[in-house]
Amino acid sequence: MFDLDLRSRKPIYEQLIEKMKEMIIHGVLKPNEQLPSVRLLAKQLTINPNTIQKAYRELEREGYIYSIPGKGSFVDNKKEAVYSEKVKQLEENMLKLCQEAFYIGLKKEQIFSIVERAERAIRGGEEHDSN
Amino acid sequence: MIQINHVSKRFGELEAIKDVTFSVPKGSIYGLLGSNGAGKTTLMKMIAGIYKQDRGSITVDGEPIFENIKQKERLIFLPDALYFFPHTTIRQMADFYRHIYPKWNEKRFYEMKELFPIDINQKIHRMSKGMQRQVAFWLTFSTMPDVLVLDEPLDGLDAVMRQKVKNILFQDVADREMTVIISSHNLFEVEDLCDRIGILHNGSLIIEKELDNLKTNIHKVQVAFHGQPPSTFLQHLDVVYQERRGSVLLCIIRGEEEQISAHIHKYEPILFDLLSLTLEEIFIYELGERGYAIENILV
Repeated sequence: MFDLDLRSRKPIYEQLIEKMKEMIIHGVLKPNEQLPSVRLLAKQLTINPNTIQKAYRELEREGYIYSIPGKGSFVDNKKEAVYSEKVKQLEENMLKLCQEAFYIGLKKEQIFSIVERAERAIRGGEEHDSN
Repeated sequence: MIQINHVSKRFGELEAIKDVTFSVPKGSIYGLLGSNGAGKTTLMKMIAGIYKQDRGSITVDGEPIFENIKQKERLIFLPDALYFFPHTTIRQMADFYRHIYPKWNEKRFYEMKELFPIDINQKIHRMSKGMQRQVAFWLTFSTMPDVLVLDEPLDGLDAVMRQKVKNILFQDVADREMTVIISSHNLFEVEDLCDRIGILHNGSLIIEKELDNLKTNIHKVQVAFHGQPPSTFLQHLDVVYQERRGSVLLCIIRGEEEQISAHIHKYEPILFDLLSLTLEEIFIYELGERGYAIENILV
């Protein structure tokens, strides 16, 4: 399904949570889709099942997944959690890019004009669609 | 559930284990770490019911383990130095194990032939060290143990075999809630194997924690500012260690990632990196704080 970086400094538990969130946010895992069972994932990834269990518990706590006793874990249909995570990621990326832009000497106006161009492109697309 | 309560053990002058207390919940994989001579093997032999402790108690599922046949039938101790009867083949050793361990699973023994590519009619003494270890794991997994005590288990296995053994181990933990205690001096090995760890040093248990908690609660931070860092910058943080490298400040800070990063962002750093620590680094700083020099703990 996916692979983890066992050499990374990041705890496996955190890597698992991030990977799962990413897959939910980008729609690789669809709402109400069943997640692989703990034992299957332990076998596939050769990871301690207790670590996987813990990651699933945390994802459930954060509202990304829900579990049905005896059946397994499923992707939750909570758009808000997914949406706010997306916004957070975008903000972080934009902040980094803007900082870089200022650093190499771009002016605020130039950045704004990029924003406007992006807006026009999206709107243009919409107009085009309605035609 | 394995419970070790205020256990001490002495060999003549040598106090091998000093008042050690911890427990291993069912289905958990516990890593016992420490330098050579720290007392790991002694402690494991007591958990396996081979040595009797001088003081304290060791119980498996509520019953004392020493000389307890009923509990020992469901526990396997895989020692550092393997023992097989002279001139036996794998098949003959398997027959012996089948008579000793009531939960012996003949079907599984045959299924595992796929994993361990060795002829079962071969004499074990003719095999290489690594192959003998494979045989030991093969026999061990075939006894379907509820408790597995492994002393330096993966030494001598190649990378492919390590992965195979780990995989079976994890499956048994997932399927049957097998409880595992593993000793090692190799931190990297333990890091992705265990969920809890304990560190023995000179016979005492100096750290005992859940591995993820240990890792998510301490971070390495690299940060730089325009000019000097503000003087109040580190005031409200639990700083374990700090060092200046040119204009970059390197700190080891205890606390949650979000809190640390929110705090530092307030000071508008021009460079900010937050990393998790490796198990090795955690030991260096945690133990350094307790006045242990790392050279004494790790080899």
